Amino acid sequence: MVAQNVFFYLLAGIILFSAFRVVTSNNVVHAALYLVAVLAAVAAEYVLLAAEFVAATQVLVYIGAIIVLFLFGIMLTRAKLGSDQDLTHPHWALSAATAVVMFGVMGYALVDQFHWTATPLPADTRLVSVDGSNSATVSDSVFTAYLVPFEVVSVLLLAALVGAIVLARKD
Amino acid sequence: MLASLWQQLSDSPVPIDSVDLAWAGLAPVMILIGGALLILAVDSLVPRRLRPGSYALATVLLAAGAMVAAVPLWQRVQDAERGPFATAAGAIMVDGFSVFATFVILSAVILAALSFDGWLRREEMDGAEPYVLMLLSASGGVMMASANDLIVMFLGLEILSIAVYVLAAMHLRKITSQEAGVKYFVLGAFSSAFFLYGIALIYGGTGSTNLVRIATYLSATVLGDSGLVLAGLALLLVGFGFKVAAAPFHFWAPDVYQGAPTPSVAWMASGVKVAGFAGLLRVFYLAFSTYRLDWQPVIFVLAVLTMLVGSVLAVVQTDVKRMLAYSSINHAGFILVAVQAATAAGVQAALFYLAAYTFMVAGSFGVIAVVSRKGDIGTSLDDYRGLSRDRPVVAFAFALLLLAQAGVPLTSGFFAKFYVITAAIEAGSSTLAIIAMITAVISSYVYLRIIVAMYGAGDDVPAPRTIPLPAAAGLALVISLTVTMSVGVFPGTLASLAERATPVLIPESDPGAVDPSGVPPGP
Repeated sequence: MVAQNVFFYLLAGIILFSAFRVVTSNNVVHAALYLVAVLAAVAAEYVLLAAEFVAATQVLVYIGAIIVLFLFGIMLTRAKLGSDQDLTHPHWALSAATAVVMFGVMGYALVDQFHWTATPLPADTRLVSVDGSNSATVSDSVFTAYLVPFEVVSVLLLAALVGAIVLARKD
Repeated sequence: MLASLWQQLSDSPVPIDSVDLAWAGLAPVMILIGGALLILAVDSLVPRRLRPGSYALATVLLAAGAMVAAVPLWQRVQDAERGPFATAAGAIMVDGFSVFATFVILSAVILAALSFDGWLRREEMDGAEPYVLMLLSASGGVMMASANDLIVMFLGLEILSIAVYVLAAMHLRKITSQEAGVKYFVLGAFSSAFFLYGIALIYGGTGSTNLVRIATYLSATVLGDSGLVLAGLALLLVGFGFKVAAAPFHFWAPDVYQGAPTPSVAWMASGVKVAGFAGLLRVFYLAFSTYRLDWQPVIFVLAVLTMLVGSVLAVVQTDVKRMLAYSSINHAGFILVAVQAATAAGVQAALFYLAAYTFMVAGSFGVIAVVSRKGDIGTSLDDYRGLSRDRPVVAFAFALLLLAQAGVPLTSGFFAKFYVITAAIEAGSSTLAIIAMITAVISSYVYLRIIVAMYGAGDDVPAPRTIPLPAAAGLALVISLTVTMSVGVFPGTLASLAERATPVLIPESDPGAVDPSGVPPGP
């Protein structure tokens, strides 16, 4: 359990530092790459919670797709890739206040739910692979109960793909 | 090598759970999707464009094939011994309701494809993509009509919508078409988010996304706090209301109908609306029938607003496409009146109305596609002056379709409105019935205005012009007119079909299915 705790705080430190750098960095590409660090560390936290499917999804969706989209967006639209002093929004204090309020609300919800009480841990805290673990359950239901919806998603993507080509091509 | 691999797989100690799929139940959807893929593949393989019109022909044949595949399904669900069935672990329900809606959606595909053919050639936009998108959109619509799970419903809604956004923005050289596409896309994505949030709240409140499980849970449990479920229902209603263009979620409709390519509008006003109402009925009338006292007043207000907006605002329009956009909002209000009844007669009336309305509105927009000029312009009321002289047959057909929309006797529109009002009165909503009849009178002024413009004589009639009538568009007009008039004279056949198209809730047929919620039982 000790090792888990140590790694939790280590990752939390990485998340906090990187998140701070995302908003204070003067280089927009650096900010995006710090965001990668935040999201990767969050994925690592999921692994610590034995939620390996969520962790894999986090890496695939956020780092693999969304950040890559960010970087493409930055590189295709902004000529200026280096340091930029005008990057800080003039109303940054307002945003900071909003963030603090959000933090307060979420923190209050957590405290209200659990009342600072520590949940007693089971005697054996080793992470073992149990039958019907996370990924196995997800894949079971994807390929049985949700087989048709799962296949239908590919039709949805096909429609989006054909549509994008129709709209983007030149006559 | 394959044989040894297969041997290893069959000897595998882990049994592979497979889900029982009644493929026949999915046949119409699979024909539509497979056909769309086939058209795409052929389009990319054939170096020179195929003979113009072959894609439209293929689309019509595919839709007709899907109809043929749906006929045995209809016989099966009407059979006393076999009856309706759920498949794909309870995600898809094949009952009279879904098969009826499938037929109506496929008819809309045929009419819109016939209208597309000549229009695309006039706009010099020959290509397979509009047909592919329409087939995919129709597959989403059929999925919505037969969804027994809110997730399938959402996926169907998204396939339906994404294809239609593109169909609206398809006219790349026309700025209003682009504007229509963007407007529809932004608002549609917004409403999809509402819909999804509604599903999440209902899952939170009932513990399932499966309609059967939701209904079972709600009928067996008295919720101490039903706020979550009611909020979820309200959000779902926003999503559906947007798709069927019910007030106050109708603001996109006139602009999008005016800017989008006219054959796309024919599909939007018919097929998309049918799918939206099928989904709405399935969710509200079936799964949340225990909450009908909560949702009926909301639908009441929506119906009144929708009918009033659709009839009153249509009067002040000068563009025929906008007029018909508002009139389709008015029709949506009428169908909401049938939904509000929340009785079997109400469902029957709604299905009858949807079937009749599909042919009327697809035929009407087909006429608009023919009368407009290259660039998809010329849809103002003035462009219709003198149509009875330039194209007497088209003008006459358009007049009949408009009269049917107004609900004149001997047309299908009369019986559609009649059944709706009867269902409303039987359900005790006489107020709603009276408002419905008043708005029907107001909107008949709009239809008469178009007819007077077509047949009027005088100084303001412009010089004669030649209006080419493509054969396919003429065929679409003949089909829609034949159905409209024959249903108007002999409504019994369609009414009895609609009566037998009852939606049902039955638990999934395969007992070995895993819990569709996918969540293992908690500690």
